[in-house]
Amino acid sequence: MSFRLIACASLLLGLASPICIADDTQPSGAMWDFLRAKYYGDRPMGLVDETYMSLEIPSNTPDPAATPLTLRFADDPAARIKRVRVFVDNNPSPLVATFDLGSPPVTQIDLRVRVDRFSSVRAVAEKADGGLEMRSAWVKASGGCSAPPSAAAGGVLGEVRLRPGEDAKSLLVSIRHPNSSGFQIDPRTGDNIPAHYISHIRIEAGGAALLDAETGISVSENPTLRIASDQSLPAPLVVEAVDSVTQAHFTASTSSPRTAATELPAPPNGRR
Amino acid sequence: MIVLRPRCRRPRRRVPTLLVTTLLAAAALPCGAGAGARAGAGQGAGQGQGAGQGQGFLVDELAPGVYVHRGAQLPLDAPGHDDIANIGFIVGSRCVAVIDTGGSVRIGLALRAAVRRRTSLPVCYVINTHVHVDHVLGNEAFKDDRPSFVGHAALAQAMVRSRPYFLKEYAQDLDVPAAPEQVIGPDRLVATELTLDLGNRPLTLHAWPTAHTDCDLTVYDRKTSTLWTGDLLFIERLPALDGSLVGWIAAVDRLAAQRVKLAIPGHGPPTTEPKEPLARERSYLEALLQGVRRELAAGESLQDAMLHVGGDERSGWLLWDEVHPRNVARAYEELEWEK
Repeated sequence: MSFRLIACASLLLGLASPICIADDTQPSGAMWDFLRAKYYGDRPMGLVDETYMSLEIPSNTPDPAATPLTLRFADDPAARIKRVRVFVDNNPSPLVATFDLGSPPVTQIDLRVRVDRFSSVRAVAEKADGGLEMRSAWVKASGGCSAPPSAAAGGVLGEVRLRPGEDAKSLLVSIRHPNSSGFQIDPRTGDNIPAHYISHIRIEAGGAALLDAETGISVSENPTLRIASDQSLPAPLVVEAVDSVTQAHFTASTSSPRTAATELPAPPNGRR
Repeated sequence: MIVLRPRCRRPRRRVPTLLVTTLLAAAALPCGAGAGARAGAGQGAGQGQGAGQGQGFLVDELAPGVYVHRGAQLPLDAPGHDDIANIGFIVGSRCVAVIDTGGSVRIGLALRAAVRRRTSLPVCYVINTHVHVDHVLGNEAFKDDRPSFVGHAALAQAMVRSRPYFLKEYAQDLDVPAAPEQVIGPDRLVATELTLDLGNRPLTLHAWPTAHTDCDLTVYDRKTSTLWTGDLLFIERLPALDGSLVGWIAAVDRLAAQRVKLAIPGHGPPTTEPKEPLARERSYLEALLQGVRRELAAGESLQDAMLHVGGDERSGWLLWDEVHPRNVARAYEELEWEK
């Protein structure tokens, strides 16, 4: 099966996967074959049972540009997950995010994603022992990447709000950012809106990394991330998000969960 | 219906959902619309007079000179989805104002034929109550009448925003071949209020702050004390949020304070007693508001909010499954950044 790949690095500047798929009819199987080979080579991949990892996403999404997705992980010390990637096969940038998990163990991740065409949505977990497990679901949606920016958009770019759960075992992170996909049109000018997104989100709990995420244009505008654990998350909770264009770092902590974002200059090496 | 917002918000057709859902979609595009045909249709089918149901295109004179065609309570992706909104016209001594044109050129043409059966006066105004697909795609049918197309000041931009979406998702509802110029936006804008005279028949148009959409317009016929609410009022069909939940509740309160003899909702049966359906709509919107605020305060995800919010309000509404989850999502996205 052949499929057409059109490089569009300029659109997806800086994304891990500078590839655009431009074939509407391509069955997702071919796309997945490609992605799997790209990210995992020929490593064996199991299809885990739901008690270990589950992927929840509505097959009929209420909003293709903001489709809720939930990952749940069993807190099983024998099979701790160190990394999870989320893919939407048929999106122009299929890799939604790469999550590196720290401690305490994260048992649930919720986020909102763009789904551009009918597609398989997948989560691939990499265990500490190197084993791979995948869950997938089929989602009927289209237009999530080209949907115009929300009329409700606005606010302060980079504002971060943190909402800890009442039991201190979860944290809801909201980031004010257009997360422009590069495939949206400015209705006033008819021009393409350049890709501009949150490229990295890091959450620390009690001074240690809880979650480190590389993110791209398939995350919805005003990105949200909710993480939960079976254990209390040690304070303080500190969130840092990086802007793909300016490399600005937007931060917030539970000591000031609703303070407008503090924009810090990027460190010299671009990452800390 | 509504749906749309072009982003009014989100896109797609996923159809399924979107569209359907809400109507909303319509507009927005991204908002989306979507859908295909699907269930749900049964629930409301049979209500209204959808032309798509093989009964011909019915128009009733509900007050002197006030003619209404009732849309069917179908999802946005069901067969007959182009005939789900209440549309109609008002006849003065000099000319006719059309209020919303339906979700396809076909429905627009049927409405135009209905006008022609009632009067030989020219159509001088085509008024759109907002940008959703089920209310505007029939505009093209009136082009040859050379009317002034009238809408909320924000409608012009909303139509621009929605045009690509309409062309992609609703091409079959336009003339063949579908072309951008068939999606006709307003040439006369209403910033706050405007009175049009049809000849001894003044119509007062009121432009609302963002509520159901960002471009809601109501039309009041002083002669008969008839208020066309557009989609600020849904009766029987679950309201579809595509603008601002907080703004919509405020608009409902203002509408409830108005005394009118007849109200023509965007969807559902016209009524001489609008206070009751306005209260019912408000009850739903308020439950959505308080429920989503509660979820956010507890740090719950959108997924959880969709499971938890609003279920107590379900009874009596059509198209709940198609519309409610999206409303929760829209409310969540709005209230997430509430001051």
